[in-house]
Amino acid sequence: MLRTYGRFALRRTGQAIVVVLLAYLFTFVVISILPGDPVTSTLRNPDNGFTEDDIARIVAYYGLDQPWWVQLGSSLGRFLVGDLGVSLRSNLPVSTLVLDALGSTLSLAAVALLVAVVLAVVIAYGTQFLPQRFGQGVLRSLPSLFLSVPNFVIGLLLIHVFAFGLGLFSMIDTETPWGTFFAAVALGIPVSAQLAEVLIASLDHESRQEYVAVARSRGLRQGALFARHLVKPSSLPTVTVLALIVGELLGGALITEAIFGRVGIGTLVEQAVASQDLPVLQAVVSLAAIVFVVVNLLADLAYPLLDPRVSIGARGRTTTANPRDDPAPLLREEVSIV
Amino acid sequence: MTTRLRRLLGVASALTVGAVLLSGCGAGTAAAPAESSTPKPGGDLVFLIDSLGATWIPNNSAISSYQGQIWGNLTDKLVYVDAEGKLSPWIAESWDENADKTQFTLHLKDGVTFSDGTPLDAAAVVANIDIWAKGRPDQGINRIGLFPSANYVGAEAVDATTVKVSFSAPTLSFIPTLAYHGSILISPATLALPADQQADLTKDIGSGPFVVEKVAEGDSVVLKKRDDYNWGPQAVGHEGAAYLDTITYKQVAEPTLRTASVESGQAQVAYNASPQDLEALKEEGLTVETPRYLGFVNGYALNTSVAPFDDVKVRQAVQHGINRDEILSTVYTPDWHAAESLFQSTVPEATDHSADFAYDPDKAAALLDAAGWVKGSDGVRAKGGQKLSLTLYPNPYLQASQSVDELVDQQLTTLGFEVNLETYDVPTYGQKVIGNATIPANEITRSFVDVGTVAGVLTSQKKGDEDWFKLGTSDATLNDLSTKIATATDRDARAKVADDLQGYVLQQGYFVPLTQIVQRVYVQSPEVSGVSYNGLAYAYYLDAWLNG
Repeated sequence: MLRTYGRFALRRTGQAIVVVLLAYLFTFVVISILPGDPVTSTLRNPDNGFTEDDIARIVAYYGLDQPWWVQLGSSLGRFLVGDLGVSLRSNLPVSTLVLDALGSTLSLAAVALLVAVVLAVVIAYGTQFLPQRFGQGVLRSLPSLFLSVPNFVIGLLLIHVFAFGLGLFSMIDTETPWGTFFAAVALGIPVSAQLAEVLIASLDHESRQEYVAVARSRGLRQGALFARHLVKPSSLPTVTVLALIVGELLGGALITEAIFGRVGIGTLVEQAVASQDLPVLQAVVSLAAIVFVVVNLLADLAYPLLDPRVSIGARGRTTTANPRDDPAPLLREEVSIV
Repeated sequence: MTTRLRRLLGVASALTVGAVLLSGCGAGTAAAPAESSTPKPGGDLVFLIDSLGATWIPNNSAISSYQGQIWGNLTDKLVYVDAEGKLSPWIAESWDENADKTQFTLHLKDGVTFSDGTPLDAAAVVANIDIWAKGRPDQGINRIGLFPSANYVGAEAVDATTVKVSFSAPTLSFIPTLAYHGSILISPATLALPADQQADLTKDIGSGPFVVEKVAEGDSVVLKKRDDYNWGPQAVGHEGAAYLDTITYKQVAEPTLRTASVESGQAQVAYNASPQDLEALKEEGLTVETPRYLGFVNGYALNTSVAPFDDVKVRQAVQHGINRDEILSTVYTPDWHAAESLFQSTVPEATDHSADFAYDPDKAAALLDAAGWVKGSDGVRAKGGQKLSLTLYPNPYLQASQSVDELVDQQLTTLGFEVNLETYDVPTYGQKVIGNATIPANEITRSFVDVGTVAGVLTSQKKGDEDWFKLGTSDATLNDLSTKIATATDRDARAKVADDLQGYVLQQGYFVPLTQIVQRVYVQSPEVSGVSYNGLAYAYYLDAWLNG
């Protein structure tokens, strides 16, 4: 078992590296196809009054006059030895920019994940145990409501009420605990919707099982039933979604960060895309690929531990032991990367 | 962020503001404190800015509308230019020039130091002028765009407070250029650094009334007062150090959040609000400052090399077919002014030529009739099977440009034009529109500090000239006027040429002025007093204080 695990992990790691390199290559090709570059577009601001000769000399300094394959080669060469290069936009080392932004985004994403999980569990718990007339139906419709309200609307509403109205945090320093909390709420609400949907579906499924009826008939309290019997089997598909949500958090962080005036990976990407700042984009895309792959790998590895019915096949695949056992919805029979 | 996303954000923000106000949770209007005429030392000012721009390399960034704000309070210049284009001494206490305006001698103020303690002496000034003129392009450092580099021979330190600068041809624009926002004095130690180190603002040492306290890249810059500062521009009339303790420039991308922060008292200044919001903000007791800068007005440079603008009558028809009052009343507020010429009316040499392009739809229609463009049943004029069509490309460097173009579209359509609008973001605009010789009408504006620099845009007599109207050197009169203005050695005589030049360009229909440009809008809490705006419309806080 342990050896199979080891081989499984190795295989996944190898695939992860390939994915990261492909993401790197893909970003490079896409940006290279686009016309222009950040240096030229800044210099071409008519107020600068530069001649084409002036622009050409600066562009040569950045090596942007080289054919794309030469640029790719030197960029990849630097990346492989861990040198992320210098931002074309700000001239600052990319590693500094990414590290500065990473802390803010990680704290935002972590709190947002917490908010999302708590919210999803509360909603899901409510849908199982709240009587119809006390709003079970309303709870069930909450996730679709959360999904349909854009998170910038939620964000602006939170800012106007809690920052400007109640003065709980300030737009000048949004990295304070309250600032982070409200940004995380804005980011976490749409994410909680997906989690809640899946959790509700699994709970519905599990609560129809015979063992639940047995447990109820023996007088088990609702809370205990939820915690001891329902949560664990229902969390399997939720873990799958949780892994996918990491991508969601990174993507959603862009808008949340822009609105809350936080400097994070999202805003870094936004600026880098807007100015075609290739070194920064490549660093961030590679980082995102690494995070995504690692989180999904962890989810895969967690599967067999959560449900003994999931075992690792001879070739390192996770499969359900008995497919006819009516697996919970959304359970991935074969775990793939991305 | 894309324009579309921004717009969505704006709408959503407006909706939420409305909702919040209705629910009674809205921020109370800041009560206007009694205006105090006695400055109060101390205080921390928060300035919310759309963006902190790209790099901090002084030569590459001081010209930016964003970083230029910060550089202006962090550094000094040799010469000060006020809002009317009047030059006055600053670090250069006086200057002499020879008769043919090829040699200039600057006499520097004694005892000025950079914030690292090194002297701002003649050697430091020479190092600065050299890098403004030449840059170090092979090391990623630009020259300063508007510096008269083509004629620059060199600068030398005669003694500790005297600098002699030589040019190969008359360069009346030299002294005014020293007041330009790009010409900031930086410590020679900083200038010697490689580009990637100059990009770190904490390493950029100036001699201004404020110094860098803290930089959070892409988020905020905190400046603090320099206690021993005592060499502000005479024109500002402030002796000694600044009143404010600190200025925080904080990036907030969403415009309604910037203004709402000032309304709620979390910040004192919001930069670049939308013109449409300004009246409402004033009603809430906020101050709105819309300083104009020196330069060309906003308007269209028409391309004489492509149809239909190869015909002077069609060009004049566009001039007379645009209702500028409607633009001002629909898109802008009373803070904006109609164009009176090619130049902003604050330019000392600007003269009123508004009669040459006054709104007169009947005259415009008659000109098009005379040019042979006949209205068809669809309302579009045509000639020889060719429709009278025109594509406008809103200038992404100007925030209200698209709204203006939409209105011009309506006005010209009434006249019988078929108008298309193509909107691009800054990088795409740079690729597709700037320098594209087939674009019929280039929406253009440009700041300058000296009218002598305008010659470089009108024709293609010299290498690097922009040739706005795609005339090449075909118009002998314009060639002559341009040459006279570029090589003038006497300011009064040059003013006469400038008047002729404005009249000629407008009568030929080469340029269609729209409005005087306000590119920097400041929404301020009423507690802010004593802000000065120079000829480049930057907010200068040497004499500012908070009376809250």
